[in-house]
Amino acid sequence: MYIIVVGGGIVGYGLALELQVLPGHEVTIVERDNRRASELRDELGEMVVNGDGSEVAFLEQIGAARADLLIAVTADDGANLVACQAAKHRFGVARTISRVNNPRNEELFHLLGIDSTISASQAVMAQIETTLPEHTVVPLMSLKGSGLTVVDLHLQDGAPADGRPIRDIRLPEKALISLVVGTDGPKVPDGDTVLHSGDEVIAVIPVDAEETMRELITGRPAAG
Amino acid sequence: MNVVIMGCGRVGSAVAVRLSNEGHSVSVIDPESFAFSRLPESFHGRCVVGSGNDVRILGDVGIATADAFIAVASGDNRNILASQRAKHIFGVATVVTRVKDPERSELFAQLGLQTFSPTTIGAELAHAALFSSTTASVEV
Repeated sequence: MYIIVVGGGIVGYGLALELQVLPGHEVTIVERDNRRASELRDELGEMVVNGDGSEVAFLEQIGAARADLLIAVTADDGANLVACQAAKHRFGVARTISRVNNPRNEELFHLLGIDSTISASQAVMAQIETTLPEHTVVPLMSLKGSGLTVVDLHLQDGAPADGRPIRDIRLPEKALISLVVGTDGPKVPDGDTVLHSGDEVIAVIPVDAEETMRELITGRPAAG
Repeated sequence: MNVVIMGCGRVGSAVAVRLSNEGHSVSVIDPESFAFSRLPESFHGRCVVGSGNDVRILGDVGIATADAFIAVASGDNRNILASQRAKHIFGVATVVTRVKDPERSELFAQLGLQTFSPTTIGAELAHAALFSSTTASVEV
C-alpha cells in the first residue's frame, strides 16, 4: 500500500514511526516547513519530502494518483480538508483520513466525504466515557456508508442481558455481538454464550440502536 | 441582499464599500482590527473582529440568513474551508471564493464553489497589456 501523510508535526512524526515498521508499505511524509522537513529527513530519511500537501501540483509530483491512503494531520483544518479533497477528487485516492483540530469542523468533513476524522477531543471523550457509569455504550468506530457503528459495552449488574444466553436477548435488528471479554478472557460468542455483569462486549450495531443497546446492557435509559 | 465578507484586506474592503454603497447589508469579518481602517468612515456595514471559520462569529453576523458569502481572506485553504461551510452547513445561496493557486481554484470550482483565481486573472491582464502596448507602439 502507498500511504501519504500530510504534516510532519508531533502527530505526523509519531505516525511515521508507526508506519515505518509495517512491512510492505511505502510511506511519504509531507512537511511544508523547510527546516522541520530537513530535521525529519535526518532521522527518517528519504520518506520525508518538503512541500505543500494541499497543492495539487505537489501531490501529483509525489505520486498521489497511485496512493491508496492519504492521512492529513497538520494543525490547520483548512489544509487537512483541502489535501483530503484533492486526494479524493483529483487523484482518486480510495481512503482519506483527516485530523480535525476544531471539533466543530467534524460534521462538515464527514459531509464532504472525508472517510474518517480523528480529533483529540473525541479521543479524550471516549476515554472519559469509559469511566462514567451512565456512558456504558462507547462508540469505537463508525463503518461509513453502512449506518453501522462498532461499540464497546460494559454489562451492568441486573441489566436485562445479565445472566442470559445471547439467543434469549432481543437485540436490535442488524445488531451483532462480535466479542465477549469475560473473566476468562476474550471469546467469540455463539447463541449459547451467557453474558454476565462485568463482561465487556464489543458489538456492531445500527447507529440508531444505541439507546436500545444501552437499556439491554444497563437496564436503564440514558441520563437526561 | 445580506452579504457576509470574510477578510477585510484590499479586495474585501473594496467589495464591502461597493456593496454597501449599492444599498446592500454588509458584514465584514477579519481577525485583525486594524484591517477595518481600510474602510471609509462613511461605511455603514458591520465590522466584526474574529475568524471567518469561527462558528460563533458566523452566528453573530447572521450567516444562516445571509444571501451571499464572499471569502477573500489571505489563505486559500481558509477560504475554501469557510466557503464549503457556508454552502453546505448554512445553506448560503451564493458563495464566492478567492483561491490564489489556479489548480486549486479549478478543483474547487468542479466541486461546486464559485471560485476565482487572482493569479490567472493577473497573468491574463499582464499578457493582454503587453500585447496591446506592443501593437500601439507599432502603430505609432
